[in-house]
Amino acid sequence: MIRLENVTKVYPTSTRPALDDVSVEVERGEFVFLIGPSGSGKSTLLRLLLREDVPNEGNVWVANWNVGRLASRRVPRLRQRMGVVFQDFRLLPNKTVAENVAFALEVIGKPRHTIRTVVPEVLDLVNLAGKADRMPSELSGGEAQRVAIARAFVNRPLVLLADEPTGNLDPETSTGIMTLLERINRTGTTVVMATHDRQIVDSMRRRVVELSSGKLARDDSRGVYGTGR
Amino acid sequence: MLFVWREAFAGLRRNLTMSIAMVITTAISLGLLGAGLLAVRTIDRTEDLYYSLIAVQVALDEPTSAADPDCSSPVCAGLRDELEANPLVSGVEYESRDAAFERFQRIYAGQSILQLVRPQSLPATLRVTMADPLRGTEIVEQFTGRPGVRNVVDQRSTVQDLFSFLGSVRNATFGLAVVQALAALLLISNTIQLSAFTRRTEVGIMRLVGATRWYTQVPFLIEAVVTGLVGAVLATGGLVLGKIFFLDRLLSGRLLANTIPPVGMSDLLLYVAPVLVVVGAVIATLTGYATLRLYVRT
Ligand SMILES: Nc1ncnc2c1ncn2[C@@H]1O[C@H](COP(=O)(O)OP(=O)(O)O)[C@@H](O)[C@H]1O
Ligand SMILES: [Mg+2]
Repeated sequence: MIRLENVTKVYPTSTRPALDDVSVEVERGEFVFLIGPSGSGKSTLLRLLLREDVPNEGNVWVANWNVGRLASRRVPRLRQRMGVVFQDFRLLPNKTVAENVAFALEVIGKPRHTIRTVVPEVLDLVNLAGKADRMPSELSGGEAQRVAIARAFVNRPLVLLADEPTGNLDPETSTGIMTLLERINRTGTTVVMATHDRQIVDSMRRRVVELSSGKLARDDSRGVYGTGR
Repeated sequence: MLFVWREAFAGLRRNLTMSIAMVITTAISLGLLGAGLLAVRTIDRTEDLYYSLIAVQVALDEPTSAADPDCSSPVCAGLRDELEANPLVSGVEYESRDAAFERFQRIYAGQSILQLVRPQSLPATLRVTMADPLRGTEIVEQFTGRPGVRNVVDQRSTVQDLFSFLGSVRNATFGLAVVQALAALLLISNTIQLSAFTRRTEVGIMRLVGATRWYTQVPFLIEAVVTGLVGAVLATGGLVLGKIFFLDRLLSGRLLANTIPPVGMSDLLLYVAPVLVVVGAVIATLTGYATLRLYVRT
């Protein structure tokens, strides 16, 4: 589903590569933690998968797309098959919960009758059916993140990318988010989650890919966060 | 489809003050352009009117005028034959002193000037209509000072002042239209940038969930085009009011009546209005497109 082949990314403003000759492969339906300290290149890797940036060297594959070489007019098609959530939720403050989720479908031209049936379904999946008409400012952090996940998942993506989704949440709320991501993973969606939350990684016992200063440091199929830190 | 329209109108409402300023500036610019187009039309009409009437007048001297009721004297007939043979000339008409006096009486019927004028003070004339009205001066040069000729007048040069007045009205309106258009362009461009800035979070999310460039940018273009169209409609409305309450009165007033033909409502609605709509829409679209290209990377 995802394959990086000797990927190197150097930002124009810095000399040190953010990713340095990284090769890694993720199968369809896997759940992968991408770990490493701040600045190790986790977000950069996710940005390359989304084609928010292109690698300087190597190839990035998602499904059958050679992402780094994709013509920019084909990028929307790639992104329509991927979902992404961030630490800061990125909800639109002037839209309700349901509208925020519907927005993701509206802007890719989905017909209204589809939107009307699919949005309640996904809100149900994230246990927010009762809060469809709330504004984001009326939600807790955990609820806001679940809305963001609903929005990322509503178009049934092949891959869900999560960049430190629990970074702003307390441990209990984080557990709820992890349960939800696992549920999404069980539908067959490949999940890649960047995090430096040791407790979560250790409790889940999933595949762990570790980056250190942009280099691939470790790839354990049922890993823990690590001992040295 | 619905989405882009909703976003466009939300954008116009959000920056309402800017939107109004943008529409008004566009309307003024287009209104001036329309006024200039009407001036061009009127000048053409006026020229047509005058060129069919005006001629080169060859006035005959006193002895010839006094002696010749039908241009049979050798001097008059010679001049007439020579004029008729000239390729620049399309027709020659003789007006005797008595005929001139009759016409004079008709024109100034009931006015005191009639008492002062006697047939003897009017010359007989050869009215020369030109095949090309613009080349009257050549006839003036050829026939001035010839035996039997008192003077030669190209009427065209006497109406030239009127045309140059109308011409400068036209140039001034076009000049102002260009300046206003520039202001309108900058305002439209600025409003789009502002609009894009207010919507940056939204557009960011749109790009992330796979919205195409079309979905992210068309709302801005619609904003611009709606501005152009509303501006064109307001400009046309302004011109209609200007015609009814100002131009019609001016041109039917004592000073200019029968000097400049009136501006027709059909000219305004069938010729000027469509031009304004097209120009407004095209310029707004191009401005919007250029702004998105240059300033808004989404
Ligand atoms: N837009 C950018 N421009 C320049 N350098 C960047 C940019 N984004 C990230 N970096 C640098 O690249 C490295 C990796 O960053 P990042 O991928 O954000 O790491 P992580 O997500 O693991 O914290 C860091 O050294 C960071 O300073
Ligand atoms: Mg990061």
